[in-house]
Amino acid sequence: MTTRQSATRRAVLKAVTAASALVAAPSFLRQASAANPIKIGIPTVITGGYALLGSQVMRTCKLVKKMTDAKGGVIGQPIEFVYQDTQGDPATCVRKCHELVERDNCRILTGVIVSSEAAAMLPKLEEWNAIFISHGNGDGRLTAELLVPRFFRANTSAPMGARALALYLKDAPEKKFIAIASDAAWGRSSNAAFEEQIKKVGKDLVDKIYAPVANKDYSPYITKILQSGAQGCYVALQGDEARAFYSQATQYGLAQRVQFFTEIVAQADIKVLGRDAIGLMGSSRYPLTYDVPQNTAFREAFMSEYKNEIPDWSDGEMYQAMMILFAAIEKAGSPEPMKIVAAMEDLDVTSVKGPVLMRKCDHQGENQGFVVKVAKNDKYAEPIGEIVKIYPRELNTPDCRSASYSK
Amino acid sequence: MDFLGFILAQCLSALSQAAILFFIACGLTLIFGIMRIVNFAHGAIFMLGAYVGVTTVAVTGSFLLSLFVAPIVVGAVGMAFERLFLRRLYGRRDGGAYLLLTFGLAVVLSELIRVIWGAQPLSAGIPDFLRGIVVILGQPFPLYRLFLIVLGIAAAIAVWQFLERTRAGLLIRAVSQNAEMVHALGTDIDLVRTGVFGFGCAMAALGGVLAAPLVTAFLGMGTTVVIDAFVIVIIGGMGSFLGSLIGSTLVAFVQVLGAYYFQDLALALMYFLMLTVLVIRPGGLLGKEE
Amino acid sequence: MNAKVGLAVAAAVCALLPLVVPQYALTILIEALIFGLFAMSLDLMVGYCRLYSFGHAAAYGLGAYSAALILTHLGPPLPIGILIAVAVTIVVAIPIAWICTRSTGVSFAMLTLAFAQLGYAMLFRFRDITGGSDGIVGIPRPPGPFGITWFQGKTGYYYLVLGCLFGSYLLCRAIVRSPFGAVLSGIRENEAKTIALGYNTRAYKIATVVLAYGFGALAGALYAGFAGFASPELFFWLVSGRVLIMVVVGGAGTLIGPIIGGVFFVFLEHELSQITDLWPLIFGSIFIAFVMFAPEGIWGILSARFKADPQLPSAAGGKETSDAAA
Repeated sequence: MTTRQSATRRAVLKAVTAASALVAAPSFLRQASAANPIKIGIPTVITGGYALLGSQVMRTCKLVKKMTDAKGGVIGQPIEFVYQDTQGDPATCVRKCHELVERDNCRILTGVIVSSEAAAMLPKLEEWNAIFISHGNGDGRLTAELLVPRFFRANTSAPMGARALALYLKDAPEKKFIAIASDAAWGRSSNAAFEEQIKKVGKDLVDKIYAPVANKDYSPYITKILQSGAQGCYVALQGDEARAFYSQATQYGLAQRVQFFTEIVAQADIKVLGRDAIGLMGSSRYPLTYDVPQNTAFREAFMSEYKNEIPDWSDGEMYQAMMILFAAIEKAGSPEPMKIVAAMEDLDVTSVKGPVLMRKCDHQGENQGFVVKVAKNDKYAEPIGEIVKIYPRELNTPDCRSASYSK
Repeated sequence: MDFLGFILAQCLSALSQAAILFFIACGLTLIFGIMRIVNFAHGAIFMLGAYVGVTTVAVTGSFLLSLFVAPIVVGAVGMAFERLFLRRLYGRRDGGAYLLLTFGLAVVLSELIRVIWGAQPLSAGIPDFLRGIVVILGQPFPLYRLFLIVLGIAAAIAVWQFLERTRAGLLIRAVSQNAEMVHALGTDIDLVRTGVFGFGCAMAALGGVLAAPLVTAFLGMGTTVVIDAFVIVIIGGMGSFLGSLIGSTLVAFVQVLGAYYFQDLALALMYFLMLTVLVIRPGGLLGKEE
Repeated sequence: MNAKVGLAVAAAVCALLPLVVPQYALTILIEALIFGLFAMSLDLMVGYCRLYSFGHAAAYGLGAYSAALILTHLGPPLPIGILIAVAVTIVVAIPIAWICTRSTGVSFAMLTLAFAQLGYAMLFRFRDITGGSDGIVGIPRPPGPFGITWFQGKTGYYYLVLGCLFGSYLLCRAIVRSPFGAVLSGIRENEAKTIALGYNTRAYKIATVVLAYGFGALAGALYAGFAGFASPELFFWLVSGRVLIMVVVGGAGTLIGPIIGGVFFVFLEHELSQITDLWPLIFGSIFIAFVMFAPEGIWGILSARFKADPQLPSAAGGKETSDAAA
C-alpha cells in the first residue's frame, strides 16, 4: 500500500463524508414551509420502469400549478406540489409518503402510479392524518375490500374500463372473445370484470391469458390467440407490456384476424406504434376530443404549454382529480383532511370527462364510459382515439364497494 | 396438419427467441471465460445497444446500418470501460470488486440513457422488406422472426469458426484456460481482455438492436435480460461458447412452450430448468467444475 | 480504540438518537438499521466463508412474508410472530442450503438466485395466500407478551430494531470468534487444506448459509412489522444485488462494515434522491469510486484510521494491519 494510494483513499473518504454531511444537514433540518400554501404530495415514479407515467403526472401538476397561480390559488391559498421518487416500489413509496407527510406537511397525496404502491399506502392514511386521491390506480379492490375512509378514486377503474367495452360489444358482430392481461393486480381485476360483463351481454369468452409482469416475448400468447378462434381480443396490458404486445402482434398480422379491444387506450402507445395503431378500439380513460368547455380549456392550455404533446390518459385523469380535489376544498372552505373528506362525498363536478359524481358509499368517482377507435385526425400530428360511444355514469360504475354490476 | 403447423410455429417462435438470447448470452460467457467476472452491466449494455440502434435508424433510415453501428459504438464503450476501470482490478483476490464495479456501471449507464433519450420509449422501425408474414402450414409467422433465426445461426457459425479456426480465436481460448501461460509466451493479455470485453458488449448490443422492433426501446428493458442471460450461461456452463448456444435454445423452448402450456408457472420454469441442470451437473452442461 | 468501549459508545448514541432527531427521520433510521442487519447477515456468508450469494433477498422475503402471514392470520404478539417467522425461514433454508452448497463459486451464487426468483414466481402462483403482485397489506402489530405495547409506536419500534441489531451483532461476533468461526476461516483461506484436516466443510457451509438466512429473515420480519406490508419486490434480484453492494462497500468480513454499509446505502440513496433526479448517476459513481480507491470498504478506511483492535474478528485481518502501518 503506497502512500499515494492511501492519500487518494483518504481524499475520497473526506469527499464522501463532506458531501454526505452537506446533503444530510439540509434534509433533516429542513423545516416545514409556512402554513399558507396547500401542499400536495406527489409520490410518483421518476426513475425506473414507469418513469413515463410519472413524467406525465408531473407535467400536468406543473400545468395545474401554473393555472391555479394565475387564478390566485384555491380558497386564496397557493397550491404547492412536492415531488418524490418512489421508483415504482411499494416500500420506497411508503417511506417517501412518511416524509411527505411528516417533514413536508403534505396532507393530500396523489399521483401514485402502481396499484401495489397504493394498496400499501391505504392502511397508513389514518396514522398519517392524510387523504389520498387516486388519479390513475385501476385495481378494483381499492374501492372494495381495501377501502378506507381517507381514500378516493377520481379515475375510471379497471372494471369500469371493461364495462364500457362490454356494453359496446353487446351489439358488435364478434361473438367469441379471448382476454389477455398482465398478471398484476389490476390486470386480474380487469380480466375478471371483462369476463363477468361479456358473459352478461351474451357473448362467449373462450380463454383468459395472464402474461407475467414485464414479459417480453408474446409469441406463445399470440399463438394461443390465433388458435382460439376468437374474433375479438380484450387486452388489459399497460405501458411497456402493451407496446411489446402490439408490436409483435402487428408482426403476426394479428390485427387482421382478430379485433383488439383494449382496456386503456394510451397516447404513448399510439405514438410508438404509429400507423400500426390505427383501427385499435378500446376504453378510454381520457377522451381527447370530448366536447365540454372544461376539456377544451384543458386541452388548449396543455398543448400551448407543451408544444407537440397530446395529453395522454394520465394527464387528463390527473387534471380531473385535481379539479375534483379543488372543488372539495372550496366547498369545505379548508384544506384540512377530514373536512375535505366530508366535502368530497357526493360531490358532483363537471370536469374534462363530463359530469363526475364522487359517491359517498365507496368513494368511487362515477365516470362516464368512453369507447374510442384509433384513427387519423388532421388536427393532430398523431392518430388519436375518436369517440365511438359514450355510456352514462350510472351504467358505467359498478355496485357499491364491488367490482361487479347488478344492472 | 393444423397441429403440425402449430408445433412448427411454436418451434420457430422459440428459435427466434433463442437467437436474441444467444447474442446476449454468448457475450456474457466469453467475458466470463476470459476475465472470470460476472458482468452485471450486461443488461444495461443490451439496452444501450437498443437505443443506439433505434437512433441510427431514425437518423439514417437504415436498419441494416444500425446492425453495424450499434455493436461498434457499444463495443467501443465497453472497451473504454475495461481499459479505464476493469483493468485496475486484475490481481485482486475478492470477487466483490467486480460485482460492485459492474453493478455501478449498470446503474450509471441506465441513468445516462434516461438522461440522453428521455423516459418516452422509442419505436424501432423494421425495414419494409422484413415486414411481411409468412404462412407456414396454415400458421402466420412474422418474416422478421425468420430473419432473426437466420441471423442467429449465421452469427453462431461465424463466432464458432472464429474461435476454432483463427489465430485470434485460438488465443482467446488459450487465455480462458490458462492466462499466465499465454502471458509467459509473450502475448499481451491485456489486449486480449479488452478485445473480448468489447466483443462481448458488441454482441449484447446487437441483441438489443434486434430486440427493439419486438419490444420497443424502453427504460428497464435490461433489468430482466441480465438475469435471463446469467441463467443461460450457468445452464450451458460458464465460459463455454457452445454451452451458451445450447443454453439459449433450451431456455427459449422452455419459456415459449412453458408460457403456452403452464401459464401459471411461466416465471418459474427457467429456474426449475437451471436447478435441475445444476443438481445433475454442478458446473453446467458443458462447463468445468470450479 | 478499545472495541468494547467503541461498541458501548455506539449503542449509547443510537439509543439517544430518537430524542434529538425529528419523527420522520426515525423512519429512515429504522429502515437503515434493518438493512444494516440484513447486510450483516450476508456478511456471514460472503465475508467469513467466501460464499457469494445473488439470492439473499430470499431470506429477507421469506422472513417478511412469514411474519406477514403469521401476524395477520394467527395474531400472536409481535415479537413472538417475528421469532416464529425466523424459525420458519431457518427450516426452509436447510434444503436450500443443502442444494446450493453442492456447487461452488458462481454456480453457487446462481443457485441462490434461482431460489430467490423461484420464490418470487411462487408469490404470483399462490396469489390467494400471498396477495399476488399487491402482497399482504395491513400487517398488525399485536401487543404482548405480558401486555407490553411499547413497540407499537414508531419510537418503540426503533428500539426493537436497535435491540435486534445489537443482539444479532453480539451473537454473530460470538459465532465467528468461536471454534466454528475458526473453521470458517479455514474454509475461506484454503478449503482443500481444511478438508484434509478432517473437517466436513460442506456441513459448515450449510450451517453458515442457514444462519445467514436466519438473521436475514429477522431483518425481513422486522421490516414487515414496520412497513405493515410485504410485497413481491422484496424477493427480486435487485434487493439481492443491493445487499451485496452494502456488504462490499461496508467492508466484507468485518460484521460492522456491512452494518455501516447498509446504513450508508439507505442514507445515501435517500439524500441523493432529494437533491436531484439524476441521483442514480451519482449513486453508481460512488460505488465505482469505492471499488477503485477504497477496496476494503468503509470499515477498512475507518479501522485503518483508528488502528482497529486486533481482537475484532475480521476476515481481512492481515491486510488491515498492513494498511494501518502504511
